[in-house]
This record gives sequence, structure tokens and C-alpha cells, in this order.
Amino acid sequence: IPESGHKYYLQFSTEDYRTGEDAGNCLATVLYPKKKSRPVVSIKCSHTKDQKEIQEEDNSFYQRIRHQSKPITASNIPDSYGNIEPALEPVWALAVAGSSSIMWEKSTETLGYFLAQVKSVRQWIRRDDFVEFDYTVLLHEMPTQEIISCHMRLTWLPGQPLKVKHFCASEGHGAEPGSGAESGSAAGPSAEKGASF
Amino acid sequence: IQLDFWLAPRGLGLPVDIRVPFRSLQAVKAHLEANGVSYSIMIEDVQALLDEEQTEMLRSSRQRSLDTNTFNYEAYHTIDEIYNFMDMLVAENPNLVTKLEIGRSTENRPLYVLKFSTGGTNRPAIWIDTGIHSREWVTQASGVWFAKKIVQDHANNEGVASILETMDIFLEIVTNPDGFAYTHSKNRMWRKTRSKHPGAICVGVDPNRNWDAGFGDAGASGNSCTETYHGPYPNSEPEVKSIVDFVKSHGNIKAFISIHSYSQLLLYPYGYTETPAPDEQELHELSAKAVAALSSLYGTKYKYGSIITTIYRASGSTVDWTYNQGIKYSFTFELRDTGRYGFLLPAKQIVPTAEETWLALKVIMEHARDNMY
Repeated sequence: IPESGHKYYLQFSTEDYRTGEDAGNCLATVLYPKKKSRPVVSIKCSHTKDQKEIQEEDNSFYQRIRHQSKPITASNIPDSYGNIEPALEPVWALAVAGSSSIMWEKSTETLGYFLAQVKSVRQWIRRDDFVEFDYTVLLHEMPTQEIISCHMRLTWLPGQPLKVKHFCASEGHGAEPGSGAESGSAAGPSAEKGASF
Repeated sequence: IQLDFWLAPRGLGLPVDIRVPFRSLQAVKAHLEANGVSYSIMIEDVQALLDEEQTEMLRSSRQRSLDTNTFNYEAYHTIDEIYNFMDMLVAENPNLVTKLEIGRSTENRPLYVLKFSTGGTNRPAIWIDTGIHSREWVTQASGVWFAKKIVQDHANNEGVASILETMDIFLEIVTNPDGFAYTHSKNRMWRKTRSKHPGAICVGVDPNRNWDAGFGDAGASGNSCTETYHGPYPNSEPEVKSIVDFVKSHGNIKAFISIHSYSQLLLYPYGYTETPAPDEQELHELSAKAVAALSSLYGTKYKYGSIITTIYRASGSTVDWTYNQGIKYSFTFELRDTGRYGFLLPAKQIVPTAEETWLALKVIMEHARDNMY
């Protein structure tokens, strides 16, 4: 749109991340303003999954976490071979949801992300009803192909929006020192950002 | 008759279990029926169960398999296991398969290419490589499956057997062995080679930006610490140079297919320029056919088109160079999936991925055979 920016019209289908089942269709417009500010999005989706069923799944997972005797800790989800322990699937699902908020913040008209791996997760036991996890997630950035390491702190209570704070290292992981030379990474990490969604 | 009683007769009204050798089956059934003795079949084929147990035992014990029939195609393997597989395949099929060493990697690992040939001298050939980006594990795993598939087709005189009558197939399974070893030992997400060039701060060059086609143009990075670092000059990487030398000295390669993951795409040149390739229409139509064949197996959806219009601008990429060398049928695949597991594709998807991809490869190979140039 001359003088204004680039506007995209999108029509897409969604599927359940765990089962692959159809989860509804969406219609959206995304306007990237000429001045590089956040895009303007309008979106409308149809949901095919039963809200009650979602609530039940959330609640059963929530109860399971609350009744743990020890805080959950794990690393490499999925592992190198693509395996996810069934008991850790919901922890992975929370990471997917939480990192989508990071990807939302970081994406631009020319930069996109996928969740490559949950490098580590550690649960913090809270006195209130919320469950809280600290994650290190690896994001695969396109088209640069970089693997970005992000620290994510996620707080959750079923029925409430997920609270996500994140902090990504701004240098790619390829900054390893060779023999006799130092890593050239001089940039500081990006400022901690909070998001609630 | 040689009946083998697994549960011997114990008394009236109690069942009897009998293993019956195949050649006695008819006689035993007839006898039981003639005498009004009811029976049911508990196990149709005992040998099948024994075979399955055998492979399972070999699978679970971390020993190396003894031949390519017991090799586990449904698992990811180390570089040693794959190199051992290659040797076994050659030993089992000496009249079809030879192993060529086309060079050495930066860390002095041999770069092996399997040659599948039924004879002739310097026949027109098809080249397939997997694993040029080391973290894309489903590709090396698929390459191993392809190797076995070619041998099987030839033995059964089906599939690519007809292609092998007039063409040779070259298959480089571990195109970036240093990177691959690194993904096993240190960093599962390593993509590049492991070279360290003078003046470069970081290790590794992107082998898919190091070719002499638009080298250094937009679509690659000059920063050694990035994943798309093109390297100090074209073919600086021995992994790339060895293929360049091979292709040039062979001189008769008609189709060149370089395999990556993930995104589910079939791509043809160019990546370094928006100028359409002269053969774009033919390549586009061939891609449509190949993708249709791929999808026909499990419904996996692929998109296709030129690199620059379908994925992003990329300079110095493999198939741009091979195309400019005159290899018309130059393609890049991006295999499963579309981001859910990405590089960490579960092992149970290896064989389905290899199977469907093979159908697309056959379409391309057959087209090359039928459209010699």
C-alpha cells in the first residue's frame, strides 16, 4: 500500500499440536507499516475443538503438576532422536505455547521462527495456585538458519492467560572460539521482555 | 508328519497345541476335519515370529548388525555405523556397488560415494547427496535407506532396475562427516563444516553457500560466526571441492539432487538471482509430477518452485552451480517436517520419509533417462 506499508491477507487452517487433528480455520490481515513498528493484526478464527475438552485436559495436567513431590526438571525435549517422554509431553506443550509468545515478539516481515528444542526446564514450586517453569528454549530462525537460545519464565493457572517473560541471547550459537582466537561476541543480550497472553 | 506338540494331550476335554510343519498342513487339517475335531489357528507363521524376534534382539543389543538385512533402518546411526553399512552393502553386492573415496574432510574423514552400476563406461549418471547440513539427520538416514532400496530393486528387477540398465547412480550419504560427528558428540544443532580459516573468528562454513554460483552475493553471510557463512572463497571447503572435482571429471552427470530437511519443499534453481532458469518450465512441470508421486504414499504435502521464490534468496548454493555446469535436472529437496519437530524428527518417521521421497526421486530419474541431452 503506497506510503503506508505492506498488507498481507491470510487464510489458513490450524491443527492440534499434539494430535494433528484439524482445529479450525482463520482469516487474518497483517499490516507492516512503512515505519518499522509492530505490525497491525486483525484475525478471526473458527474453533472446532470443544472448549470443555480443552479445559479438562488442562485441569488434569495442572493437577498432576501440583501433586508432584519434587519439582519437574528435564533437558533435551525432544532428544536428539526426536523422542519425547510421554510424561513430559505437557511440559513440552507449555513450552510451545510460551515460546509462541517469544516468536510473536521477535518475528518481523522477513524473520520467522520455529521451536527447535526445549534445552532444559525446571519447575519452581510456588505457595499460591500458579505453576511456574523456567525454560531454555532453542528457536530456529529463518532465513538466517541461526539457532537462538532464549530463557523463558512461564507462569500458568488453567483458565488464565499464560504469563511469559523472555530473554534471548542476541548472538547466534555459532560464536565458538577457534584455536588461538577469541569469540567475537560483543553484543549484550536483549532486554528482558514480558508478555501476557 | 513330524508334529511338534507344544501342549501335549492331557486328557479328555483338554486342548492340545501342535506346531505343524508347512508340508504337513493340508494332511493334518483334512484329518482333523474328517474326524470332526475342531481346531483354531493360534499362530499362522511361526517362522515370521522367529525372524521378528531375531531382528528385535539385534536391534536392542547395541551390537553392529551383521548384514544389511538386519540393519535397523528405523533408527538414527552414528558415522561409524553408516560407514560400516556401506562396506557391508558393497561386500554383499560386489557386482553392483562400489565405494569411492572422492576426498577428505577438514578433519581428515574420508568422503565416500557409493556407485551403483551394471556396467558400461562412464554412463550418464544421477547424483544424490544427503547430509550436507549435518543436523538434518533424516537425510543421512534416508540416504542409507535409498542405498538398500537400489540394491533391492536391482535384485528383484523392479523399480530403478530399468534405470540402472542405462545409467549409473552415485550416492553420497554423509556429505559432511565432520559436522555429522559433531552433532553426535557436541552439538545436535550443528549445520556447517568444521573448518577454521585464517582470520575467521568462528568455526565452520555453510557448505550450501560455498559453491561458485553467485558466490558472496546477497543470500549468504560474510561473518564466520553465522550459520550461512559462505567461506573465504568458493570451494574453500574440501567437502564441496571434492564434489566439484568429481562432477567435472565425470562429465556425464544428467541429474543432480541434493537433499536437506526440513520444510517439505522441492526446489530448482536459482537461489542467487530472480532471473528464471532457462529450463524453468520443464523443471516446474517435473517438480509437479515428482511432488504428486511423493504425496500419493502418505498424503505428505510439498510445495515446489525455484529456490528464490519458494524459500528465500540463497547464493553459492549447490544446485545453482550444478545447473550452470549444464546439469539440467538439478533439484534440492527439503524433507519432513514443517517445523513441529524440525531437525529432531522422530526416528519412526525415517522410513516413511525415505519411502515417499524415493517415489519423487524415481520420477526425476526416469525423466532424466527418457529425456537424454
